[in-house]
Amino acid sequence: MKLQVKRLISQVILFFSANLGYPGYPGLKTGFCYPFFYCQACPAATSACPLRSLEQSVDQGSFTWRLFLFPLLIIGFLGVLTGRAVCAWACPIGLLQRGTGRVARKVKKTPLARKLGAQKAEKYFRYTKYALLISLVFVTSYLIGFIFTDICPVGFLTGTIPVLILNPGKFVPNFFFPVALVIFALFIVLIFLIERGWCRYFCPVGALLGPFNKISFLHIAVDAKECVHCNVCSYECPMGIDVPNMHRDPECILCGKCVTACPNELITFEGRGR
Amino acid sequence: MKKFFALQVCAVLLISGALGGMFALTPVYDEVRSGIVLVLCLSCLKLEPKTLADFTFETVDNQPHPGFVLENLSHGPVFLHYSGDACAGCDVMYPVVKDLFSIDYGKQDMFHSIVSFENSSVAYIYVNIHHTTPELRSAQPIYDKDHVAGIPMFTIVTLGYDNGKVKPKYTTLYGTLATYGCNTDAQRLVFLQQLLRESIDMYNENEAGYPHHS
Repeated sequence: MKLQVKRLISQVILFFSANLGYPGYPGLKTGFCYPFFYCQACPAATSACPLRSLEQSVDQGSFTWRLFLFPLLIIGFLGVLTGRAVCAWACPIGLLQRGTGRVARKVKKTPLARKLGAQKAEKYFRYTKYALLISLVFVTSYLIGFIFTDICPVGFLTGTIPVLILNPGKFVPNFFFPVALVIFALFIVLIFLIERGWCRYFCPVGALLGPFNKISFLHIAVDAKECVHCNVCSYECPMGIDVPNMHRDPECILCGKCVTACPNELITFEGRGR
Repeated sequence: MKKFFALQVCAVLLISGALGGMFALTPVYDEVRSGIVLVLCLSCLKLEPKTLADFTFETVDNQPHPGFVLENLSHGPVFLHYSGDACAGCDVMYPVVKDLFSIDYGKQDMFHSIVSFENSSVAYIYVNIHHTTPELRSAQPIYDKDHVAGIPMFTIVTLGYDNGKVKPKYTTLYGTLATYGCNTDAQRLVFLQQLLRESIDMYNENEAGYPHHS
């Protein structure tokens, strides 16, 4: 079976696994945190968003070490084993972006997109997700209260929309709704314009997982000595990584597209070692 | 190479040990389940429950909720019914509330019961201010959010979600509910039934995250 088909099956199975919490069908509500970005406000969610637990751990000047460590350890455990593979093989938002990726790849071929993609600033823009993680998840929660959950586009997609459909007339928008709606619209535009745009620039869970690529057992290895720099791998990479020069890049989501694409089979999944 | 592999093994052992220890020795699993997963996160939804009357977290002058209300809140929403002697409005509402819960008591009684409303529990507390205890009497100003200081007054205390925390949330109604367009007993009954349903829904959405919940 082709690697990308296996990945699709994994994504679909894990999407359904993440949604076993709908009351009665079968109503599985656990006390785990997801190791990816998914909202516990989704009527079918089985677990908690790791960011919600982190926010609650530092809520308004408090510090609850259990709620702080718990999601980090869950993410860390998977991170050490598989790096950021969770983003490509498990995350439902990754599955969504896989769906929109076809359009984004067409956009990628336009001259403007090529020009923008070649900008040096692009790689610095990827640090936005780390800034979001620190500022909106930790700092604002500590100083003011929850802000990230109030504007989170993933919460809007997986929580607000299903809840409004399932409970018509039972809820009214709150103060943050218009802001969240605009951010959600921008999120949709983003994932259609830039392949894996959310994962590249904004996903705070990706920011948590990324550094584990540096020490994870599973990683992508490139045989740099034999590489002819045809750049097919870089072109295929949904994260826009310069694959031939990559070494345990925090942006790599281990989707394996470069592994499949390399005509000389010089890119492989490795299970251990540097 | 070997050093790096040793580092990887140490990292996975350390993290899995810490994670296992947290599961075994701390209540974090239950905390996440009851405090996050089972509570409907309105911040995440960017929504508020649509209710017939305005519910609020703020009591008058930010006074604490009375102990008897918090105790009863572990059973379900608390319906406080303030009434009195020689009160025309009270005489109008008295039979309506008796119909609402299908219960019977004297107008001058002190009555408190966990009643069933559409298969849900509601703590009903009837207070005739002329025949009651100081504790019950002193609770009336706490919930008199419009500073009416009159009877009949009805307070429904339920649970609400306030920026990550589940807290008591209440609404207070006054008089014969004419301000809500209720001019007949049937209309008053339907209005109170709907408001109770909304209160029960809010209670059920937040019950798991209520600190006093056992």
